[in-house]
Amino acid sequence: MTIGDKLVLKKTDTGRFFESLGQEMRLIAPKAAFGGDVMFDVAQSPDEIVWDYGHDVCPPKQFVFPQTEEMLRYEANGKANIKNLLDAPKQAIIGIRSCDVSGIKTLDGFFGSDIIDPYFKARAENTVLFSLVCNTPPKEECFCICCDAGPFLDGGFDVQLTDLGDRFLYEIGSEKGLAATEPRSDALRAAEAADVQERKRIELQADSQFQTKTYFAKAIIPISSDLVPDEVWEEMASTCLRCGACTNLCPVCTCFTVEDRAQSGESFLRCRSWDSCQYAGFTREASGFNPRHTAGSRLKRRFYHKASYQYIARDGHHGCVGCGRCVTACLTHLGAPDVVKRIRREMHKYLEPEAV
Amino acid sequence: MNGKPTICGFCSLGCAMYIETSPERGVTGVCPSANHPVSSGRLCVRGWNNPFTLLSKDRLQSPLIRNGDSLEPASWKDAIDFTVTAIKRIISDSGPNRLGIIGSGKLTNEECYSLSKLARAIIGTPHVDGACRFYDASIIHPLIETSGVPASHTDIESVLKAGSILIVGSNATEQAPILGSRLEDAARNGCVIVAADPRVTGVTRQAKLHLRPKPGTDLIWLRGLIKVIIEQKLYSNTAPTLPGFEEMRNSIEDAWADIAKDACRVDRDSIMEAAKLLAGNSPTIVMFGLGALQQPQSTQVVKALANVANLLGGSIMPLRSQANAQGACDMGLISGFLPGYRATDHPATMKKWETAWEANLSAEPGMSAIGMLEACASGQLKGLMVFGENLVRTAPNTDATRAILDKVGFLAVTDLYLTETAKLADVVFPACSFLEKDGAFTNIESRVQRVRKVSEPIGESRSDLQIISELASGLGIDISSDPLVVMEEIASNVPQYAGVSYKALDESWGRQWLRGASEARLAPVPASTPPENPEYPFTLIASRALFPQGSATICEKSSILRREQPESFVELNERDAERLGLKPGRQVTVSSRSGSITRALALNSGVPEGCAHAPGHFGDSPNTLASYGGDPVSGTPAYKACAVKIEAVK
Repeated sequence: MTIGDKLVLKKTDTGRFFESLGQEMRLIAPKAAFGGDVMFDVAQSPDEIVWDYGHDVCPPKQFVFPQTEEMLRYEANGKANIKNLLDAPKQAIIGIRSCDVSGIKTLDGFFGSDIIDPYFKARAENTVLFSLVCNTPPKEECFCICCDAGPFLDGGFDVQLTDLGDRFLYEIGSEKGLAATEPRSDALRAAEAADVQERKRIELQADSQFQTKTYFAKAIIPISSDLVPDEVWEEMASTCLRCGACTNLCPVCTCFTVEDRAQSGESFLRCRSWDSCQYAGFTREASGFNPRHTAGSRLKRRFYHKASYQYIARDGHHGCVGCGRCVTACLTHLGAPDVVKRIRREMHKYLEPEAV
Repeated sequence: MNGKPTICGFCSLGCAMYIETSPERGVTGVCPSANHPVSSGRLCVRGWNNPFTLLSKDRLQSPLIRNGDSLEPASWKDAIDFTVTAIKRIISDSGPNRLGIIGSGKLTNEECYSLSKLARAIIGTPHVDGACRFYDASIIHPLIETSGVPASHTDIESVLKAGSILIVGSNATEQAPILGSRLEDAARNGCVIVAADPRVTGVTRQAKLHLRPKPGTDLIWLRGLIKVIIEQKLYSNTAPTLPGFEEMRNSIEDAWADIAKDACRVDRDSIMEAAKLLAGNSPTIVMFGLGALQQPQSTQVVKALANVANLLGGSIMPLRSQANAQGACDMGLISGFLPGYRATDHPATMKKWETAWEANLSAEPGMSAIGMLEACASGQLKGLMVFGENLVRTAPNTDATRAILDKVGFLAVTDLYLTETAKLADVVFPACSFLEKDGAFTNIESRVQRVRKVSEPIGESRSDLQIISELASGLGIDISSDPLVVMEEIASNVPQYAGVSYKALDESWGRQWLRGASEARLAPVPASTPPENPEYPFTLIASRALFPQGSATICEKSSILRREQPESFVELNERDAERLGLKPGRQVTVSSRSGSITRALALNSGVPEGCAHAPGHFGDSPNTLASYGGDPVSGTPAYKACAVKIEAVK
């Protein structure tokens, strides 16, 4: 058994396979919540896994980069009494979509290079991703195909599952995936040519079914070269209701704030929680000066991260995985495809055609 | 996330959210629900951030009893005994109607119902009212008169299907962002929005026609609008057959007189255009927010708005303030009404409730919250019990309110925090937030929804239902502390809630008790001109802002929300500032007959000349500028039209 192997896991065997995996690590999977909602959560048993879900609201990035996390506890009594509260349980995220796998890969680039973030790193290292490809785009807002982030991945996953009806095609993509597979190899068989062919057919079919098309490429030059006039950014941002959902729910966004919370006596708890570059207070400096004091300047900043050449050159890909959550959750129309489209259209007004 | 579903407690829309908690750290995660009919995968900035503050260490940990100048920690037993003794003393010395009770739209239906019962059936006082008095109580009488029930006749999903929307006095994009979002989508779908607001706001930017009346003069242009609809026969086929048509038509005969004098700053042509846009694009929804409900003639304004909807065959949607504003009123937490909007002057109603509650009820209509505060000042009330409302911030004239609460013989307060109001109390009970209790809220589309306990109570705090139950028990009568049992009682006694049970509510995202109005009729709206006050030449609009919502008692605990609006400010039009010789950033004093606030000046061309705009701020409420005595029928203060003067701080 080796990386790159294509195997088959019969659906009737998923129970025993993940039951066995659950002995080694906690299982995070899509679970039925209230009123038709599906949420990623710890599954006590493989029976709880909802395999035919479409898309969840909150990306599973929360299991490697939690919404709030305790970093350390310290005493403010003159002694260096610091307790690291790092908590990184071994876990498998089962059923994660390709876009969210790509998102975690991007987080890895941010938290794992230059200054390494020990909290993220420990969690990511202890996490095995069993991705589940989308046989059809689950939402009309999906556009992962425009970001090379799905619906099928060529790499970046630990294990990639494709639903072939009564069975999953099981592709091993990494050492971690291999290590999580080998002890349970008796539940798997080698894939046959027909299995691989069926996967190919589903992939081609899925690729043709996207309803949202985002021509990021056309926005990259204007954004990278700062050709989009400020008034265009301000006009777009004028309807922003500052909820922060676009960044909270983005599988790629990494903004956080750190707060020391007073506990009993002289004890303090240092917590980190998600923050948003779309909040004015995020960049306001102690002097009161704010380099991004208008909503338009903040929107511009967000899209500089999503679609500028500088970031693409650094990271090797867009800062967007096309999950469509910023479209669904936005209280106005500032999801990535909307903004990219408006930039393209507005640029026609401002530029000679050859400049673009 | 390991989240439990519940309903957001920060505005009246009732969005669903999942809340994840840990025993040590309180709330650790918040996530919207994908399938909820109101929020559909979205939350506003308050929904995303406020829950994190609710289970914090600065919550009240134990009951407090006054000892001289200080409030000292006490056991629950002592605090309940202390309160029961005080209640009994007032009853025996002066009678039960010397005690007033003010509740809040932050309480669940079960708590509001039980509080109404505690007041009327157990203590025996008719003086029980809700905090809606300070926000939106002015809808109650006029909507009962024009449609039988004071509730929205349509739901939030229908906003997307409306042909036209008349929205008066609401910056929904800040006050109820999820609804503001729907308005933008409606406009994109081709819905014609006619917005009436003195200021330029997120809502008026979506409007095809923006009417900018002088604050407090909505009645004048609305009478004109009704007159156009009638004169040009723009009404629906059935409108002339509605009861009250002739009387209403006669009452608006003189509508053009004030408009011709430019009394409301909306001209006849704009009114005619508004009428045509609304009548030509059905179905019409008539929405109105606190801008319409907190002005000197708000009861008349609501009648006029309901007339417009009824004439056009449209629906009304009052945009209310607190999470359970609708449910609190449904449960009888409003003076003059028993649960289900049965007036206390109706003998059959009194008989029914006397049987249900096994008690003799006072037939007095009872005082409003405003009336109760005034009666505390005059000494007519000897004691006041306040459940979950920071009156010092929500009532007008802060100095007067503080003095009243300081003076009243006995004051009991339940709250999450040691608020400005709680600091004046004789006994303070630490209450649970909506995250620590079970129950139900009813949103502005009359959707009754389950609020679920997602965390154990902070410190020794208890739910208001437990507090009410223990007080009742001290007075010798049982009120269940189990919300499920109370909901069963509500379902059997309140007609609108027949069939409501936790099981039924869990089948889907709650259930609406009203779909469509039944008894449409038209109400006369005679002319009434607000007085001018030359000593105070500006009209102040006190708004509720996006970040510090309501009294901001909870929002101010969120570091992210505070960070978004670090300083308080008052806005003037550039021309007025120039005339006064004031530059932006200058500290100015805004003063009225009732009080004053000092804030930094900001310029905003969206504020009309002659007006000042002061958004609510953390711990600095512009409500202090308004006086007791707003709308003469409801008593709701005129926070949206307060005469002030503006001077530079020397």
